[in-house]
Amino acid sequence: MRVPYRRLLIYAIAFAVAIVMNFLLPRLMPGSPVEAMIAQFGKRATPAMIEAIKIRFGQGDATLLEQFWDYLKGIATLDLGISTKYYPQTVLEVLGRSIGWTLLLVTTSIVFSFALGSLLGTIAAWRRGSRFDGVVSPLAVVLLALPPVVIAVCALFLFGVSLRWLPLGYAWDPAMDPGLSLAFLGSVAWHAILPVATLSLFLVGNFQATMRNSMISMIGEDYVTMARAKGLGESAVMFSYAARNAVLPNLTNLALALGSVFGGSVVTEIVFNYPGLGLTLFQAAISRDYPVIQGQLLIMTLATLLANLAVDIVYLWLDPRLRDQAA
Amino acid sequence: MIGLLHTLWRRKMVTIGLAIVLAFVVIALLAPVIAPYDPVARVGRPHEAPSAEHLLGTTRIGRDVLSQAIWGARTSLAVGLVGGLVITVLGTAIGLIGGYRGGKVDEVLDLATNVVLVIPNLPLLIVLAAFLGNAGTGAIVAIVALTSWPWGARVTRAQTLTLRHREFVLAARLVGEPTWRIVGVEILPNLASIIGINLVGSIIYAVIAQVTLEYLGFGDPLSVSWGRMLYNAQNSSAITVGAWWDILTPCAAIALLGLGLALINFTLDEVANPQLRSGPALTRWLRLVDRRRRERKPA
Repeated sequence: MRVPYRRLLIYAIAFAVAIVMNFLLPRLMPGSPVEAMIAQFGKRATPAMIEAIKIRFGQGDATLLEQFWDYLKGIATLDLGISTKYYPQTVLEVLGRSIGWTLLLVTTSIVFSFALGSLLGTIAAWRRGSRFDGVVSPLAVVLLALPPVVIAVCALFLFGVSLRWLPLGYAWDPAMDPGLSLAFLGSVAWHAILPVATLSLFLVGNFQATMRNSMISMIGEDYVTMARAKGLGESAVMFSYAARNAVLPNLTNLALALGSVFGGSVVTEIVFNYPGLGLTLFQAAISRDYPVIQGQLLIMTLATLLANLAVDIVYLWLDPRLRDQAA
Repeated sequence: MIGLLHTLWRRKMVTIGLAIVLAFVVIALLAPVIAPYDPVARVGRPHEAPSAEHLLGTTRIGRDVLSQAIWGARTSLAVGLVGGLVITVLGTAIGLIGGYRGGKVDEVLDLATNVVLVIPNLPLLIVLAAFLGNAGTGAIVAIVALTSWPWGARVTRAQTLTLRHREFVLAARLVGEPTWRIVGVEILPNLASIIGINLVGSIIYAVIAQVTLEYLGFGDPLSVSWGRMLYNAQNSSAITVGAWWDILTPCAAIALLGLGLALINFTLDEVANPQLRSGPALTRWLRLVDRRRRERKPA
C-alpha cells in the first residue's frame, strides 16, 4: 500500500514552484517592496534590520544563486522571516496563531459538505427524473456558480443582521476567557455555524453533481443488478453496492477541489471576521506585509499538498484493487 | 450542428439561462443610455434608501447604486468573456497537444497541468495581486487565466486520448492528412460539447475570481464593477448600518449572472452526456414504467 511516485513528484514540484515564486516575485516586480517595508518600520528600523530585509528580498550584494540558497536554508529551518506589521513577531508566530481556526473551519466544512453532497447526489441519481432530482440537481449547478463572497455576505446579512439569530463575526464571544470550559467551546461552536454553513454551501454543489454523475454510471453495472436479483432491499443496493463504488470518483474530485476550498475559506473568514489564515492574509495584504503574504502561500500550498496526500491514502484504503496491487 | 442547436432550444432551462445572460449583455452594451446617473458622480445624500429618484438607493458617498450596477455589468462581463475565452483556449490547446502527441510532450504537459492544479488558486492570486499593487482589469484577466487553465486541459486531454485511437482518426492518418487537419477537423469537432462546458465554466470562474479579488481590494480603485461595489459597501459597513440595497444589489447581479451561466452549463452537460438527463421525456418514461409495475402487481 503506497502512494504512486508520480503523485509525490507532482507534490514536490508544486511546492518547489511555490517556493520559487515566493523567491522571485519580490525581486522581479516593479516598485520595491523593500523600500515599502523599510518605510513601514519608520523610526523603529535599525540599520541591522534594514540590512536583513535587503538581503532577504534581494537587495544585498549576494548573487541571485547565493540568495536562493540562503532562502532555501531559511525555509528548511522554518524561518519564514519577520512580520512587518506585527514586528517583532515572526511570520511563523503570526500564522501559527490563526492556522487552528482555519483547520477547524475547513475540515468541518469539507466533512459536512462531502457527506451531504454525496447523500443528495446518491438519492438524486437513484431516483433520476423524480421531482427530487429535478429540484436538487439543477440547484447544485447553480450553487457552483455563486461566489463564496455572495453566499457569505447574504448569510451574514440575513441571519446576523436582520434576524439576529447568529453572531456577526469572530470565533468566540470576546467577553469570555479562552479556555477549555464547556461555555467557551459552546461559544466557539455557536460562532462557527455561519462560516461553516457558508463554506459548505459553496462546496456542496460540486460534491453532489459529481456524485450524481458517477452514481448514474454505476446503476447500470452488473453487480447492482445482481444485488437486486438477490432480493436485497432498495436502500441496501443503493448505499452498499452502488454508492460504495460511486464515492471513489467523488474522492478524486475532493482532492481536486481542495485548492478552491482554501480560496473559499479565505473569503468566508474575511466576511465573518473569523481569525484564521485567510483573515491574516487579508490584513497582511492591506498593510503590504510581504513576509506574511509569502509565508501564507507556502503554508496553504503545503496544507493543500498534505490534504491531497491524505486523500490519496484514503483512496488506497477504500479501493481494494489498488491496495492489493502494491502488496 | 443544427441538431445540437435544436436540442438546446427545446430545453427550457437553457432558454432561461440564455435570456438572462443576453439581458446582461444588452444592459452592459447600453449602459450609457439606460443608467440614470453617472456611476461615479455624487448624486444624493449618503445611504439614501431606495426611492423613485434612486431606484436602488445610494452608496455611502452618495452614488447611485443602480447606475453602478449597470456600469459594473460591463467590467464583469468583459472580464468573464475575455478571461473565460483565454482560459478555454489555453486549456484546450494544452489538452489537445498532450493528448494527441502522447509521449514526452504529453508527460511534461500533464505534469504541468497537475502541478498548477494542486497549488491553491486564490492564495496564489492574492500573492500575485499584492506584488502587482493595484491590478488593473487586464492584469486580473491575465493572472486568472494563467492559474486556472488546468481543469479544461485535464478533461480535453482525457477525451482526446480516447478519440486518438478511433477508426476515423486512424483512417485520416492513413489517407495522409496533415496533423493540423486531423486535430483541427477530425478531433476538435468531437470535443465541441466539452469545450462548450469548459468555456461556460471558465466564464463563471473568471467572473467569480474577479469579484473576489476586487472585493479583497486588489482591483483598480477607480473602476466601477460589482466586486468594487461589494468592497466599498463592506468598507462603509453597509451591512451593519442596515443599508441592504448597497450590499444586496451587487450580490443579486452576480448571483443572477451566475444562475444564467449555470443553467446553460447544466444543459450542455446533459447534451454531452445523455446518461445524465432528467428532463420531461425521462420523467414520462419513468411514470409509465411505474404504472406498468403497479398494474402487474395486484394490490
